[in-house]
Amino acid sequence: MGFLDNSGDIILDAVLTDTGRARLAKGDGTFRIAKFALGDDEIDYALYDNDNPSGSAYFDLEILQTPVLEAFTNNTANLNSKLISIARTNLLYLPTMAVNTNFSGDTKLNESINMFYVTVDKETNDAATTIDSAKQGIINGFENSGGSYVRVDQGLDTTEVSQKRNLDSDLVETQYIIELDTRLGEITESLDTGAGATATISFIDDDQIASYYLSLGTDTGFVSSIPIPARVPSGEMIIDGPLGTFLKFKVLASIDLQTSTFLFTELGGTVNLNGTDFYYIDSNIRVTGATTGTRLDIPVRFIKKQ
Amino acid sequence: MATVFKNLLSNDIATTRTLLNEAIPITGTIVSGTYNDENIKNYAHGMFQSVYDYPYLSSSANHIFDITYGYTSEYSASANLQNAKKLNIYNQMAQVLVGYDVTGSIRKFDRDGDFATTGSNSKLETCVFLNYSRLLTKDEVKKGSYRLTISGSGGDKVIGDYGAQNDYRVNSPTGEYGVLYTSSAAVAGTGVGLIYYQAGVAVLTASSDLFESATDFTGTLSISGTADVVREGWIDNDFNNTTELNSTVYFCRLNNNEFNYSSNPTYLSGSKIVTKEKSTDPSVAYVTSIGLYSADNELLAVAKLSEPLKKDQNNELTLRVRLDY
Repeated sequence: MGFLDNSGDIILDAVLTDTGRARLAKGDGTFRIAKFALGDDEIDYALYDNDNPSGSAYFDLEILQTPVLEAFTNNTANLNSKLISIARTNLLYLPTMAVNTNFSGDTKLNESINMFYVTVDKETNDAATTIDSAKQGIINGFENSGGSYVRVDQGLDTTEVSQKRNLDSDLVETQYIIELDTRLGEITESLDTGAGATATISFIDDDQIASYYLSLGTDTGFVSSIPIPARVPSGEMIIDGPLGTFLKFKVLASIDLQTSTFLFTELGGTVNLNGTDFYYIDSNIRVTGATTGTRLDIPVRFIKKQ
Repeated sequence: MATVFKNLLSNDIATTRTLLNEAIPITGTIVSGTYNDENIKNYAHGMFQSVYDYPYLSSSANHIFDITYGYTSEYSASANLQNAKKLNIYNQMAQVLVGYDVTGSIRKFDRDGDFATTGSNSKLETCVFLNYSRLLTKDEVKKGSYRLTISGSGGDKVIGDYGAQNDYRVNSPTGEYGVLYTSSAAVAGTGVGLIYYQAGVAVLTASSDLFESATDFTGTLSISGTADVVREGWIDNDFNNTTELNSTVYFCRLNNNEFNYSSNPTYLSGSKIVTKEKSTDPSVAYVTSIGLYSADNELLAVAKLSEPLKKDQNNELTLRVRLDY
């Protein structure tokens, strides 16, 4: 009987993240590891070759040869895509998330930059038509009033399965995590679903990134089930298959952005729109499904009239 | 229900303690020679001399040890150069390394660590002190590993803590120490010094047993002058240091029906899983990272695999993640 080839030992290189070190330094007992998750950030599943003529052993040959980077210490730079546990093994489709730009004129991205604008003060908001004559994709970040907002839908994005079917209950996202730089803004309800309340921050990490946990049934102004497709007018959905839940929210600019140009000069730049100069900062709002691990980065541009 | 986290249970977490050793060589060419003494730092106060591993004005230089000298009041004489400082050095080192007797008086360094013996030669009355940097000794000097070769009285001498791994003392306020001998046969009462393992200090008798010019140490040489003589006789010095590594090991157990899908954007085409042609194909995902999280989902530590690891419904894995403190 021959020996197994053990030349390819799997070696773990473990490091504390910056948040881990900060909590350890605090010494207040908040450094307690309670759970784990697995990531596959480096993997490009498009390399999976189901049709390789040499047989199934060759399907994932290129994936298994993927070089793996050393661990980053920035807590937000690791495990951006996580492995998911679902008891069923016969799934062929998994839910995804998308910004629903079809729902109404208020949910559209600004087409010229393919992101949302957030006006940070009254003067800028009053000049919204200068930014875009139709005010498309311009969120009023000065105060919570009507107008544009972000809507994220979740479900199976396929025409192979009818939209009139219910999404299996174990694939329905029931909790969303929104991450946003606290220096730039905060998350609030959009007025047509709630009272316009500001979401509660769960925690702020060492990089000033705030995390908001919003749950179905609890945060009714943010998370709701998508009605059975028969009840919604056709063309309003961005996802073609069975639908789960949706998340909707607006962004309020931070006081710093409203009252000062400091962050604009440090983090952003200037742009001339239709003859008027504006400061801007580009950022992303990250939406992650807490149960399914699905992730979506929504680009936003905070803008301030000079 | 889908989930991306798995809770760690109490039997998934273990703590371990590992001792790591490094070999530390300090050659005579570093201590005296290569850098024309540009790596030797003397101070205006004259209490000790510092040795660096490179000219000390360079930012690349590391401090490796200090040399100083002192004696008891038995040798005190106003004619001696730096008499008060030599007394002060001995007392300072003795009160830290040897401690006090029941009357509160500072004890003298004892030749074999047995303070009950009071013979005429039982104490080290004049001493050269080698204070090693924490950079070299780390948590402690490994017992039985210390060797210092010097050119002294009667030719080269190899001073070592022979047999100290099984024969050391614990009656010092700074931890454990061993007796230094000039031959591998450790004979009681023939010690020429002491090595304090956790403190990283070697105490050598400044007698003619080791140094030809020992009488000059007492009277005509300053402390830095004594240090120069010690360095010039330095041939080699080797020891092993010890780092105590406390680790927590997290056993991340992946059952057959867990972690078989991915939220990687390339995992889906539309919403279809790209690794499956039909629903009965095995669900497969590839692990490259393990994240350790707090109860409130903050990422506290990350471990990376050296290569992607295939996970499907037909296998179970236990990944061992070690965090060192």
